[in-house]
Amino acid sequence: MHHVVLEQWSRGQSFLHARDARAKIPAVLGFLILVATAPAHFEPLALICFLLLIAGLAAARLPVMAALRRAGVVLPFCAAFAAISFLAGEPRRALSLLEKSYLSALAVLLLVGTTPMPQLLRGLDSLGAPRFLLMVAQFLYRYLFVISEQAQHMRMAGRCRGGLAGRRARFRAAAGALAVLFSRSYERAEKIHRSMLSRGFDGRIPVLAAAGFQALDAAFLAAWLSVCLLLRSAA
Amino acid sequence: MHIPDGFLSTPVWAALDVAAAPAAAAMTRLAQRGFDEKRVPLLGVMGAFVFAAQMINFPVGAGTSGHLVGGALLAMSLGPAAASVVMTAILAIQALVFQDGGILALGANVFNMAIGGVLAGYLPYHLWGAGRGRRVAVFLGGFLSVLVAAVLALAELQLSGIAMPAALLGVSLGLFVVSAVLEGAITLAVFQAMETLHPDFVRQPAGNRSRTLGGLGLAAVLLAVVGVWFASASPDGLERLAENLGIAGRAKAFLPTPLAGYQAGFIQAAWLRKAAAGLTGLALIYAACALFGRWLAPSRQRSA
Repeated sequence: MHHVVLEQWSRGQSFLHARDARAKIPAVLGFLILVATAPAHFEPLALICFLLLIAGLAAARLPVMAALRRAGVVLPFCAAFAAISFLAGEPRRALSLLEKSYLSALAVLLLVGTTPMPQLLRGLDSLGAPRFLLMVAQFLYRYLFVISEQAQHMRMAGRCRGGLAGRRARFRAAAGALAVLFSRSYERAEKIHRSMLSRGFDGRIPVLAAAGFQALDAAFLAAWLSVCLLLRSAA
Repeated sequence: MHIPDGFLSTPVWAALDVAAAPAAAAMTRLAQRGFDEKRVPLLGVMGAFVFAAQMINFPVGAGTSGHLVGGALLAMSLGPAAASVVMTAILAIQALVFQDGGILALGANVFNMAIGGVLAGYLPYHLWGAGRGRRVAVFLGGFLSVLVAAVLALAELQLSGIAMPAALLGVSLGLFVVSAVLEGAITLAVFQAMETLHPDFVRQPAGNRSRTLGGLGLAAVLLAVVGVWFASASPDGLERLAENLGIAGRAKAFLPTPLAGYQAGFIQAAWLRKAAAGLTGLALIYAACALFGRWLAPSRQRSA
């Protein structure tokens, strides 16, 4: 499943996995800005960026082909707009839309593929994102597949009872199912909340092992950003 | 509609990132005030619920089906500030884990869906949710939440110079209206089912109506109206806007003169000139947001 794969990838061991999230997040942001501000006709630069990302994937020992396929999920949406731009007489813009969105998606995939989600959110926290928001995101990520599985079970159960006849009836049944799902999610949240309180939760999640920002992390960030800057000024 | 990276021009995504960051922070603070901080699991699990709700299909007809988007429904059950926080968290997880929407474009997506969409979706319920027009208000909330978000996204794409012929623009607006009607119908059906299950699941908008909230919702709707007008009137996006406002002319006249003799002077690079104009705009927007935040915080305290 989708995020199970990412969980496996992000628990790997490599040079990139070992880098601090506080170094990797600005590095990816720098790369994204490089791609976003590049002019519309930047094929040589795009090729260099692409090779750079492939090198990154290989260095992180991630399956390169699978990653390239996964980043392709942005393409259908982009292809529609690229077609519009192409028909409007701007083939260059069409091409650059596809290249830029694909490269950006691949870069983000490299980040989340080498950084476990708790570390990523902690990195964002120490970079200044609101902690309350990050905690909501963390709970969301944790219970995403629990609730989704429940929804799938409900859908399966509905089918097993035999579908309803009319469209109106099915519409109302779906609304009822969602209301029940809401109620169950609410109950589950209450239970989680109570059990967390009984384990001493005081509004923040304690950090067990705070990894330090090492000299190697700083060197990695500096090297990566200077490559980005170099590429940008050459474009 | 989640905008990926690479679609918006630099001034547009940067301006929206700068605008969305303080807005999301203000929403987070409002939500924290309304919610005990220890109740944070509830908001997270509700975000997971909105994700999972996409698996339940609603038959539309002609063999197609739709699903709940959820911004308005969350606003009517958890309150607009909490709903905005949950939607922001959803958008962040979607961008990071599912490559659905970009990272640099996250500000734009948060602005469209988590702030504009949620506030516009709560507005009718805020105004008429207690009276006889309750059902209509709930429907209208779902309708507006999708329409406002979609129109804002469309306007941003146009502003970034993605040319769209008038006919196509009309077709996509028509599609947006259809999906907005669908969201309204789904929101109403689920809302009623939830209220039957447990009356406490939905929020009662009676009593002290916050004017700020109504004003913000109204602003979101108005912004979308301006977006429609702009999207239909502008062929060239931001450059046209800059021309109309006279920024481009002034920037052109002002910036290159000191280095006019150098043909390859770096200040003549078009992107740099645009960036300078964009940065000025950013500073203005940021100042406006900071002032607005300053004004919002004490006015909430007074009403509480």
